[in-house]
Amino acid sequence: MFLKQIDLTTALRPSYLPDEDLLFVQDNVGLYEGKFKLPNQQNGQVYLTSHRVCYVDKAEPRKYSVALDLKDVERYEFYAGFLKSSPKITLIPKATKRSSLQPRTPAHVSIPSRSGNSSPAHRPDGAVRVSPVEPAPVTTATWVCTICSFSNPVPSNFDPTTANAHTPLPPCLACGIKPTLTHVLKAAISNATSRQPSSPALYTPLPVRPRPNSEYAGAQASLSGSPTKLDAPPKSSDPEAAFQCPRCTFHNHPSLLSCEMCGGPLISHDLPPELTQKARADTDSPGPFLNSIAPAPGRDNLENIKLSFRRGGEKIFYERLKGSLTQRKWLLQGAPPIPKSSRAGETNGTDPTSGVDGARPRPKLGGIAGLESRSQHIRKNNELVIGSAFEDLEALMASAKEIVALAETFARQVKGAGGSSASENALLAESASQLGLIATKDIVGGSSSGGESLYLSELARTLAEFLTDDRRGVLRKAGGIISLVDLWAMFNRARGGVELVSPADFEKAANLWEKLELPVRLRTFKSGVMVVQGRDRTDETTIKALLSWMKDLHEFPPDRDVPWDWHMFGRGVTAMDVAERFGWSIGVAEEELEMAEERGVLCREEGIEGLKFWENFIDTGEGKEYKKAARSREEDSIVRALKESGFL
Amino acid sequence: MTTPSDPFVFPREYYFPPFFTRQTNLTTHHAQLTKWSSLILSYCRHHRLFKISLSDFAEKDLFFNKQLNRRLSLSDIREVIDFMRKNDNRAEYADSDQKNGGAGKDGAGGGGGDIVWIYWRTPEEWASLVESWVEGTAQKGTVLTVYELTEGEGTRGTEFWGIDQELLLKALQILVKRGKAQIFGQEDSLGVKFF
Repeated sequence: MFLKQIDLTTALRPSYLPDEDLLFVQDNVGLYEGKFKLPNQQNGQVYLTSHRVCYVDKAEPRKYSVALDLKDVERYEFYAGFLKSSPKITLIPKATKRSSLQPRTPAHVSIPSRSGNSSPAHRPDGAVRVSPVEPAPVTTATWVCTICSFSNPVPSNFDPTTANAHTPLPPCLACGIKPTLTHVLKAAISNATSRQPSSPALYTPLPVRPRPNSEYAGAQASLSGSPTKLDAPPKSSDPEAAFQCPRCTFHNHPSLLSCEMCGGPLISHDLPPELTQKARADTDSPGPFLNSIAPAPGRDNLENIKLSFRRGGEKIFYERLKGSLTQRKWLLQGAPPIPKSSRAGETNGTDPTSGVDGARPRPKLGGIAGLESRSQHIRKNNELVIGSAFEDLEALMASAKEIVALAETFARQVKGAGGSSASENALLAESASQLGLIATKDIVGGSSSGGESLYLSELARTLAEFLTDDRRGVLRKAGGIISLVDLWAMFNRARGGVELVSPADFEKAANLWEKLELPVRLRTFKSGVMVVQGRDRTDETTIKALLSWMKDLHEFPPDRDVPWDWHMFGRGVTAMDVAERFGWSIGVAEEELEMAEERGVLCREEGIEGLKFWENFIDTGEGKEYKKAARSREEDSIVRALKESGFL
Repeated sequence: MTTPSDPFVFPREYYFPPFFTRQTNLTTHHAQLTKWSSLILSYCRHHRLFKISLSDFAEKDLFFNKQLNRRLSLSDIREVIDFMRKNDNRAEYADSDQKNGGAGKDGAGGGGGDIVWIYWRTPEEWASLVESWVEGTAQKGTVLTVYELTEGEGTRGTEFWGIDQELLLKALQILVKRGKAQIFGQEDSLGVKFF
């Protein structure tokens, strides 16, 4: 499948792969497959990362969220929208992906489907085989090995426009010698240029195999009169007409998919879409070979995903998509590290890719001198990395990983040397690792009005992740409850002083938790203090915990003699006791106690020792009358008001 | 006035320290007021108290638990009394009664007094008690002095024996209004005739 199910984080965001960077977020996006809407994916957020395009459904995020790897994307098209039709970006999967279906299709199905019932008028039925434009379509471009002259396919992800010295190239399939870049580049470019003229106009004759019993051969061919490059004259009378391999001119049996001689593919991949569509519509049989660029609707193996931007954002998305498809970060995964100082040409030679350095022999030193020279090397190397990283921003982005690693080691060193404020250094190191996690106003797009709310919802999700992150355990350390102000300070510190969040935005984002169904919630106490706690921690559970603790106090005798019957009443507790017992801050403990009192579970005692809270032995049922009375009073007043206004 | 008998048994709440603090939760507060008013009524009934001075009693064991060293503050006591006035008319400020002629029941102006009637029996209830006693002893049509009703040998053993004279007059006034009795005579030697 082109679209894959994805995992979501606790905050209902896609969980990123290692090294994956978030580039853009846009909400109110729907998905199309081909021309049809996908019923379950019509309103959601789209996350563009360096590796993927992720769709997170708004209604059923766990069920319908999907992602699409950018490495499977062959092309993308932009549609600006017209009247009520929203702007769309079409992502067309790679041909390799599609042609992978070929072997599964039996040959006898494919033959009639392709040459069977198409209208003769459009067909140059003269059984001409139009040679697919040399050397076949882009995915089957070949380069000829200079050592063994074996023709190898050019890798599908090879793009001549962006290839550079560090693009990994596969070795020759026959002899295993790596080609030079220029060699492959040349092959790819010559392939691309020869493909250029293959526009549909020039391509009128279908590049299909000869139809066995064709009588109109010559007539049709002359009628069409199109500038076709004809191959060797076909044996039209032969029902088992063989046809030539475009590469080595060997005559193959028509049912073969690849040349018997040279292994070259015999199927043309770049049929003009309009023609194939017609053929499909006529035959009604799926022609898997003819996987056209514009597939017939409703076939699920022909995926061509459209993102429909109902609330703007398509332009930035398009720009960044273009950028990330050019950068192709996914190739870096498993690729050799960033070349150290290709410019300076002087490194410690650990980089296997830079041949110059590898050739330079390293003086073998032992003992302290060796250690010293090693550390000198490392320092020089660090210098180079930092120097080159800051040369321009693009480079910084590329070497972000290393810089982060460096920052961490620096932090560790500082800690080792100073040893003073270990926690702050930990925070520094932590904040460095936060570089990838932030949602900034820059990343989040959207047009005028939508942008702000999207930014807030992204911020809310980031916050929820920050809170529930097990490694940091922000909530757990604070006893499951933390005041919003503390959290704000902590969060901005974790951001390391960049892209700070304003208190107003912060509060707005916190207010969104409930709506977004995130695992944390914001609570406002009576006094107006706002706290953050896990969704599972409700007032009921807090009260339960308080009560069970107070029940224990009936069993354990108090520290000193008390005049009352502690077996019956237990004892009063102050906010301080509660804070100590549950690990809350005193402010929170006070608020929780008052909440419990508000619910009638506890009652208060103001004495010389301060405010103490007790289990409620005062209200043993009398309160119910009061509530009933209050309710009936309320009802009465409503009835009266209704009467007065003439409704009753 | 007081009858020295077995000591009054205080309810459980009386030994619960928060009982002496005004509760902020409305529901709990309501329960607290209810409990206090029933405590005051049963305490007065036990000691046959008809009216109490709040400032006096703030120091007495009713509102001051010496064992716990907790007391109900005077303002809280007044709140309880107000609650009793409004609920079932179980209390009344004696001095406001004089000023406003008994009309200040629902006004907040009644809050100033120190002497409070505690109606563990309301005047109506007292009136029907007297009436049934008169009927029971076949004294309809006879004339009785107020002293005879409160202190006389004939009423010894009845509930209203030893009743506060003022309270008895309140009850008799109700009977007069119903046309069941007639009061005549001077201030200090009042006579009542029952019909």
